[in-house]
Amino acid sequence: MAQKPKDDPATYPALGRMMTWVDKKGSDKKIVRALIVACIIVFLLEFTYEKHPHFGVEGVTGFYAFYGFIMFTGLIYVAKGLRVLIKRPEDYYGDKAVDTEEYPEDQLDKREHNDV
Amino acid sequence: MFDALPTAFIFFAAAAILLALPKGNMRGLLLLATPILSAIMAWNAGLGNFAQIGFFGFELELMRLDGLSRIFTLVFCLAAFLGNLYAWHVRDTTQQLAALLYAGSAIGAAQAGDMITLFFYWEGTAIASVFLIWARGTEAAYFTGMRYLIIQVGSGVILIAGVAVFYRETGSILFETMTLGSLGTWLIFISFGMKCAFPLMHNWLQDSYPAATVTGTVILSAFTTKLAVYALARGFQGTEILIYIGTVMTLFPIFFAEIENDLRRVLAYSLNNQLGFMVVGIGIGTEMAMNGMASHAFAHILYKALLFMSVGAVLFRTGTSKASELGGLYRTMPLTAIFCLVGAASISAFPLFSGFVTKSLTLTAVAEEHRQIIWLCLVFASAGVLSHSGIKIPFFAFFAHDSGMRPKEAPRHMLLAMGITSFLCIAIGVYPAPLYAILPFEVVDAHPYTMGHVAGQLQLLLFALLAFAFLYRKGIHPPEIRAVNIDTDWTYRKAGPAVLYWLRWAVGSCYCWIVGLLEKTTTRTIRRLYNSHGPEGRMARNWPTGAMVMAIAVLLGATLLVNFLA
Repeated sequence: MAQKPKDDPATYPALGRMMTWVDKKGSDKKIVRALIVACIIVFLLEFTYEKHPHFGVEGVTGFYAFYGFIMFTGLIYVAKGLRVLIKRPEDYYGDKAVDTEEYPEDQLDKREHNDV
Repeated sequence: MFDALPTAFIFFAAAAILLALPKGNMRGLLLLATPILSAIMAWNAGLGNFAQIGFFGFELELMRLDGLSRIFTLVFCLAAFLGNLYAWHVRDTTQQLAALLYAGSAIGAAQAGDMITLFFYWEGTAIASVFLIWARGTEAAYFTGMRYLIIQVGSGVILIAGVAVFYRETGSILFETMTLGSLGTWLIFISFGMKCAFPLMHNWLQDSYPAATVTGTVILSAFTTKLAVYALARGFQGTEILIYIGTVMTLFPIFFAEIENDLRRVLAYSLNNQLGFMVVGIGIGTEMAMNGMASHAFAHILYKALLFMSVGAVLFRTGTSKASELGGLYRTMPLTAIFCLVGAASISAFPLFSGFVTKSLTLTAVAEEHRQIIWLCLVFASAGVLSHSGIKIPFFAFFAHDSGMRPKEAPRHMLLAMGITSFLCIAIGVYPAPLYAILPFEVVDAHPYTMGHVAGQLQLLLFALLAFAFLYRKGIHPPEIRAVNIDTDWTYRKAGPAVLYWLRWAVGSCYCWIVGLLEKTTTRTIRRLYNSHGPEGRMARNWPTGAMVMAIAVLLGATLLVNFLA
């Protein structure tokens, strides 16, 4: 990849071209908004059926929603804390570890999308 | 002699035939035909014990097919087929042979009716699989492979020790459900636990899988650990301690996976977490839990292979699997990206994907035993799976910031392998009945698609996604950076060698000091003697005859003086 080929979206595969929508300006906001709407819908769904909880806590309205949101957030914070403790430079295990070496080129087929 | 040919023998025969074939598509076809043929033959054999053989006075059962071993045989065949299809381009004889022997050994172990046969195949998987790591051909792969081999063979040595003690205790080598308690059963349990990546014995997994070849990792991911799950299910069904071990296994890897940079290592942590769910199922031990374990193993082998395939395809085209270097690849690898998303949705257990219909069995079984804390932990772990396998893998490889890489789409055979696997992941999710039909116990009353299940699961996943969106946009989500994280391998890759170096230094210094001291003392003594008694020494300065004359003269003088005074 010494010289960068001209990046022309027209040369992407058709499917890839269609998917570039996600990187359009404003798309991220739309995605998040859609997610919020979906969250509200599944939250409201809970009132449409009768629950058969195994435990008291499972019967609490919105248990899964709150549990998912809070525990996920907690997970991220704990992981960040863990990183402070266990992060080491990439060459920590020396040059005889796979973290620092390049994958052997002869076993790969590195190609640009517009290569033949 | 045999009523049916043990499935493992078909793989071994294929390995012999492979050597006779020229390199090329013929070999590829053989690699694809073998698992298909094996699966058909194993299926047609029905259930029963088909192959006994005498061995030093023991009766070995080479082919026991029952509900439990059949589903593992079938999924191992399926995994071998998909892995070999994915590896169609590989022309390396070593890897092709290793793939056949490895799959054959794993299937042989799953069909073993006694523990001596189990031991042989157990070691077979260890030895065959290490070549998939060494095939990378670098010095780093060599060292990683050695670490892997030591632990895998160690597990086998502990197994045979356990079997020997167990035989002394009970007089039986049959591989049936055991009660944990005696020395023999504990040794067998620990041996299984090593391969199953129990907490603190897990790190060989994260150490070695990212070091294997692109295709090797896909094949590795299917067999060793699931064989261990099978062995635990066979030997220790309903063993209480497994519930707690399994729960810890579901929890701790999610934190490590969250901050790991190498996506293949993220997947190895995720694999560890998935094994935890199965181990909990075995610990619960009810029929529903065992069904949950077996179906989860089946679905897991597929979606885990799919995820390893998609990351492998990225590695194959770009030369790296590090999240910090990747991003935005969906533009030119859209199919791989979509397949990766299917795998991510399956492992996260979104409704209509395979993880949903299998994991819910285990979770329901835990709930029906009224183990609330365990259940809460597993639900949390499910959200954790979403965070690293569901979001991190596809998001940081194919979306997120644009890395500027514009690699070509994966080769056709890889796309085909990923396509078939994706299809199976969705098919199981949409229509689980055929999978439920081959589970070890009859499935009663499994209705994964009730409103309550679906809405609950969607709430959990969507709100967790919402949390991710929020944290990511606020910049709180840990960024992908080039770094390694230490885990228990630190003990034998850093601490162990450091202690050894220190010991070497301490012992060496002591030795040098003592030897130096002795030498110095000796030298000094010799030098002093030399100084006093040497040719130029003080004692030699007067020649002995002169000294004698002098002494006699002094003596005589003294005598004279005494006489004179007297």
